[in-house]
Amino acid sequence: MFLAPEGDEMEIATAAADFLAEAMPIDRLHSSGSADMSAAMRGHLGEMGWFALAVPEASGGSGLSAVEHALFFREVGRQCGPVDVLAQVLAARLPAPDDVHAALLSGEIGVALAVGDGDRTRVIGGTNAAYALNVTPDRTWFARLADAGETRPALDPATSMRLTDGVLVEPVVKTNGPDVWRFGVLGTAAMLVGIAEAALDLIVEYAKVRETFGRKIGAYQAVRHPCADMALRVEAARCQLWYAAAALKEGRDDVDTHLDAAKHLANQAALANADSNIQLHGGIGVTDEHHAHLMLKHAMLLGKLFGGKRAVLARLLHAKAA
Amino acid sequence: MDLIYSDEDRCFRERARTWLSTNVPRGTRPAHGAAAAQFDRDWQRRMYDGGWAGINWPTDYGGLGLSGLQQVIWYEECARAGAPHYINTSYIALMHAGPTVMTRGTEEQKAFHLPRILKGESLWCQGFSEPNAGSDLASLKTRGRVEGDHIVVNGSKMWTTDAKYADYQELLIRTDPTSERHKGLTWLICDMTAPGIDIKPIRTMLMDEHVNLVFYDDVRIPLANVVGEVNQGWSTALSTLSFERGLGFIGDQLELYERVNRAIHLAGKLRLETGKLAIEDDGIAQKLASLKADALAIRAMTLAHITESDRTGQPGPQGSLMKLIVTGTHKALSETVGEMLGWEFLEFDGDRTAHPWTYDYLWSWVFTISGGTSEIQREITADRLLGLPRAR
Ligand SMILES: Cc1cc2nc3c(=O)[nH]c(=O)nc-3n(C[C@H](O)[C@H](O)[C@H](O)COP(=O)(O)OP(=O)(O)OC[C@H]3O[C@@H](n4cnc5c(N)ncnc54)[C@H](O)[C@@H]3O)c2cc1C
Repeated sequence: MFLAPEGDEMEIATAAADFLAEAMPIDRLHSSGSADMSAAMRGHLGEMGWFALAVPEASGGSGLSAVEHALFFREVGRQCGPVDVLAQVLAARLPAPDDVHAALLSGEIGVALAVGDGDRTRVIGGTNAAYALNVTPDRTWFARLADAGETRPALDPATSMRLTDGVLVEPVVKTNGPDVWRFGVLGTAAMLVGIAEAALDLIVEYAKVRETFGRKIGAYQAVRHPCADMALRVEAARCQLWYAAAALKEGRDDVDTHLDAAKHLANQAALANADSNIQLHGGIGVTDEHHAHLMLKHAMLLGKLFGGKRAVLARLLHAKAA
Repeated sequence: MDLIYSDEDRCFRERARTWLSTNVPRGTRPAHGAAAAQFDRDWQRRMYDGGWAGINWPTDYGGLGLSGLQQVIWYEECARAGAPHYINTSYIALMHAGPTVMTRGTEEQKAFHLPRILKGESLWCQGFSEPNAGSDLASLKTRGRVEGDHIVVNGSKMWTTDAKYADYQELLIRTDPTSERHKGLTWLICDMTAPGIDIKPIRTMLMDEHVNLVFYDDVRIPLANVVGEVNQGWSTALSTLSFERGLGFIGDQLELYERVNRAIHLAGKLRLETGKLAIEDDGIAQKLASLKADALAIRAMTLAHITESDRTGQPGPQGSLMKLIVTGTHKALSETVGEMLGWEFLEFDGDRTAHPWTYDYLWSWVFTISGGTSEIQREITADRLLGLPRAR
């Protein structure tokens, strides 16, 4: 029993952090046309093996576990990385035809996420993706995107959005079972924890240097106490994330309860921390050039994927944990 | 990272469960007073005789020398078996007086006090706060002057929980009259039967009298009872506070989860003023589900912190976060149940067994104020965990 990254896990986390800070730094989002994962970026991630991290060795992956999956996506979250990264990683878990599977691992083909929105389908991310993935708690469909759909203006600069009818008419792969959903919940929760942490880091750094009335703002309790609350949200969401990741790795019966709790705490932590981070920065916090709004907007999007507030809470109400 | 208990841990849990299944006291603990204190002493003695006292205390001091994780397992099994709650009259002796004596005391002090604590022979209270020194503990004024091989104490302490039933007290006083703040303090073991001590109960909003004013009128305490050095008591007090804050809440995690489940069960039976079952009310259902997530997070935090401190040998700086989340969740839970219970929530005569949820609700302020207020826990977090510039 040990509930924090250790040994090789730390090495993976550090390697992921270093790589992502180069490959998709959050600063990229201040230039236009930076949404989604470009084909070049996708190829780069594929080449470095990141899509294959938690894919079984028998299927050409690195055979690492849900724990490394969570550690990787926490770093993706810190950079407000595109949702496509998760879609690609999840698709790589599917029993797709060999050529498609290989092209997924290498990043040759791209994948967007498809989620139901009324009687239409919303495609999240991947304007250059040829495929889309639709995941529910008990089944996954993977299909070729039939049409480009109607582009919708996206609040989140990291991610494009389109609306279309019937993209998933002829799935290439249909699988039953919760595996993909579980890795999706864990990955999304991890990205949200990454955002919550990044928002805390930003404000703590600023509170140490910004002065008003002759004092650092970090010496004012009206700033210090919300920062302490942010730290508490991070701590709770992060410890539960580790618990859920280990529960998934070990195939525990109550894994879904722990994943839902992790998702709920991460939803709350990322949104509330992104909010406080803007407020405590003052005017600079609402400017386009600052990272603060990027975190808020990305958290709003991730909060709806793989378990929005009401869906998660409805499941948790009657869920049991051992 | 993993959730796998070692064979040793599993065996320990199994043995604990077996023992508890036949040894948990049958009757309910008396709500307060001398009878409650006697009940707690008896329970501690029973655990000692059964070989369960001082699970993570070193064997040199009569403990079992096991890990913090095994201490958590023990509390989990106690919660499961419906054993007496660990926050009782023995709490101060076991959770911070004992550990302070263990790390800062003399060999004589250890040999005398530690076995007595484990056997339930001595209960302790904490005499730190005063009428004008709570959050700002270093402004305390109760004074002591050295006379031969004694220190003579005059002044008063306030908020001393269970002073009437305690045999000893952690007493923090000013021994250098010219000193200010953290300097010139001394940490003493005060025998509560010493002449010159007068205890006046303070009635609280819970309709009980568990906290007290303690007056000292020329109370003579042997110099041999100083823990640490004369005039260096702040350093000893910091140890006490680190034990109090560090792992002070590790016993609550499973308990809270089960209480949330009990509230959810209750919500399926209680009707609101709208005529709906509480569980069918979106507001209440969402709060209860969210509290379940918090309770699970508290458990994950407990396991993360305890397994880390088992490796490093000391509690990390997250103790304040633990206190904030446990006390906050406790309060939110009793508020939510209060909404469900309607008029029944407004019935109370001080009996915690008959009116447990109302009692818990009132108790939630004891939780967020005593042992360092929530505001002070945020201050500590801002200073020590986040490294923000100091407010004071
Ligand atoms: C039921 C109960 C049992 C207790 N048991 C014991 C015991 O057994 N032994 C013992 O020694 N003590 C005990 N205490 C005392 C307890 O530790 C103090 O009450 C507590 O530390 C607060 O001190 P205070 O009451 O003097 O409030 P104050 O320090 O006067 O605080 C008043 C308000 O100001 C806030 N505040 C103070 N300073 C700051 C700051 N720097 N920044 C922001 N906000 C601040 C506080 O949070 C609080 O809201 C107990 C208290 C209670 C209520």
